[in-house]
Amino acid sequence: MPDLVLHAVGLAKAFAAPAGPLPVLVDVSLEVYAGESVSIRGSSGSGKTTLLQLLGGLDQPDAGAVQVAGPRGLVEPRTCLGQGVGFVFQNYQLMPELTALENVALAARIAGVPSALASADARELLGLVGLGDRLAHLPASLSGGECQRVALARALINRPVVLLADEPTGNLDERTAEEVMQLLLAIVAARGLALVLVTHSREFAERTDRRLVLSGGVLSPA
Amino acid sequence: MPWFLHLALRQLFPPGKRFPAFATVSILGVALGVATLLVVQTVMNGFGEEHRNRIRESFGDCLVLSAQPIARPEELVAQLRRDREVTSATAFAEGPALARRGDFSGVAAVRGIDPTDPAQPARRYIHGGTFDDLDDGRVILGLGLAQQLRVRVGDKVELWSPVMAERAEKGKAPLPAEFEVCAILRTGFTEVDNTAALIPLRRFREIWHLGPRAHGIILRLRTPAQAEAVASRLNVGHPDLVFRPWQDIKRNFLEAIRFEKTMLFFLMFIITLVASFSIGSTLFSAVIRRSREVGVLAALGASQSRILALFGLQGLFIGALGTGLGFLLAWGILCFRDSILGAINAVFGDGDMVASVYQFARVPLHYDAMDFLAAGLFTLLVTTLAGLVPALWAASRKPSEAMRDA
Repeated sequence: MPDLVLHAVGLAKAFAAPAGPLPVLVDVSLEVYAGESVSIRGSSGSGKTTLLQLLGGLDQPDAGAVQVAGPRGLVEPRTCLGQGVGFVFQNYQLMPELTALENVALAARIAGVPSALASADARELLGLVGLGDRLAHLPASLSGGECQRVALARALINRPVVLLADEPTGNLDERTAEEVMQLLLAIVAARGLALVLVTHSREFAERTDRRLVLSGGVLSPA
Repeated sequence: MPWFLHLALRQLFPPGKRFPAFATVSILGVALGVATLLVVQTVMNGFGEEHRNRIRESFGDCLVLSAQPIARPEELVAQLRRDREVTSATAFAEGPALARRGDFSGVAAVRGIDPTDPAQPARRYIHGGTFDDLDDGRVILGLGLAQQLRVRVGDKVELWSPVMAERAEKGKAPLPAEFEVCAILRTGFTEVDNTAALIPLRRFREIWHLGPRAHGIILRLRTPAQAEAVASRLNVGHPDLVFRPWQDIKRNFLEAIRFEKTMLFFLMFIITLVASFSIGSTLFSAVIRRSREVGVLAALGASQSRILALFGLQGLFIGALGTGLGFLLAWGILCFRDSILGAINAVFGDGDMVASVYQFARVPLHYDAMDFLAAGLFTLLVTTLAGLVPALWAASRKPSEAMRDA
């Protein structure tokens, strides 16, 4: 039995609205095991991104709890931001003033890795995602697909156990999206990572081990 | 280099941009504020210093006065010259007189001085003629008095002392003392220039029937700034005399200058504060513009303190560079102050106020390290805070909010 690396129980979240609290997640539970890939689909505004942010510790649930695998067992994700969980965002979210190499190394530097070691790791990962010749390029001089590859390398540099990808191909054309998705799934499989993929694409969702749908604030099998 | 320092430098000075708009405008804003503050302070210091020097040179570092004329001034002068703080001592006498030339007359404050004393302050303020020509038959007149009497160097004037009035009361014919004007004095102090008439002490004693006595002694000190302390010390050994330090002679005037400087500092402080708020708002909008990046940094595990440092450092860099540039700018403006003032006068059609009103050859300056230090520290503090306050707001938000709202 693979290790449990992500465990969410009874998550609920509502946002304040003029007419009163607007519930987005009602009662969401999820278990993800090492090496497993899970896709979550749902209509716009169904709470997919919110769920991903709760799973990654970027936000706190109104009710319920989330735990991810850390070096000493399961811990709250906000206690190991940037390390236990790796994020890939739809808009890449790269620092515009930093080069591809510096963007990737930044995540390691924040985690306390010495500069030289962080740069070496970043160089290796950028080579892995096919950007070995774009190390000194700023995001503005990279294509969307290349930016997403840099973001993928950044998400991997601190050796997370879970990768949370929020519509990573949402801003890309069909061909580039296919390339990025293939790369993402290949790396996840090669490194034995768990993947939670939020996507609108039925096709990409089909490639994951488990497919879920978020609707009415509840997660259910597709 | 810590990552937040590296990122702060990159965000301020993005690669490939020689003059990034945000950094350039912010640094120039700070530099202008600092330069304005320092130029005003340094010029005000210069005016104050120049006035203080003139007071000292016109009245001496310390005046020794007495309720009665000093009976044996030469002895006292010799005794005071032996004091370690006194560099020169010279007796004087003074009294009012009516100055007259033809149909023009004016009130003169006649002072009898030792014309052979090389330390006579009047030597520095001779506007026409020669100080060394002063002898028993000659007088040096203040510029204002000379204009009032319509006299120039070489003209004759009569001085009528109160002693002459006493002679008239006794039925004796009062004869005025006649002098040839040998020089014109221009100190810049209106009250001195409008009334001063300098004659040799020996002649004064004759006219005023003073005998060997004198009205006071002018002291020059080794450390003029210590005049108050020296005066207090000397007073102890001479209870019948009053030692008045130069700071005391024109206390109200000096206080006015000091108050003027304080008020200008206060006004400049407000201007700098307003400029700081503008920098603060620029930094605030920059932080808001980077709100999504703040969220990403938090998602990558950056602590609040590091995010604060990232933006605080940017404020600090802007402050440090702006202050450095402000120092240079202030120095440049002060170096070319006369040309700048000349250009301003030419544009507005004003005359040379510095020469005509203040009677300074050029705009006076006095650099005070404390002013530079205070302006630098204040600016650094304000710009750092201007970066920290919006960063505190940004860093305190949840990463999800920061990323969503940007």
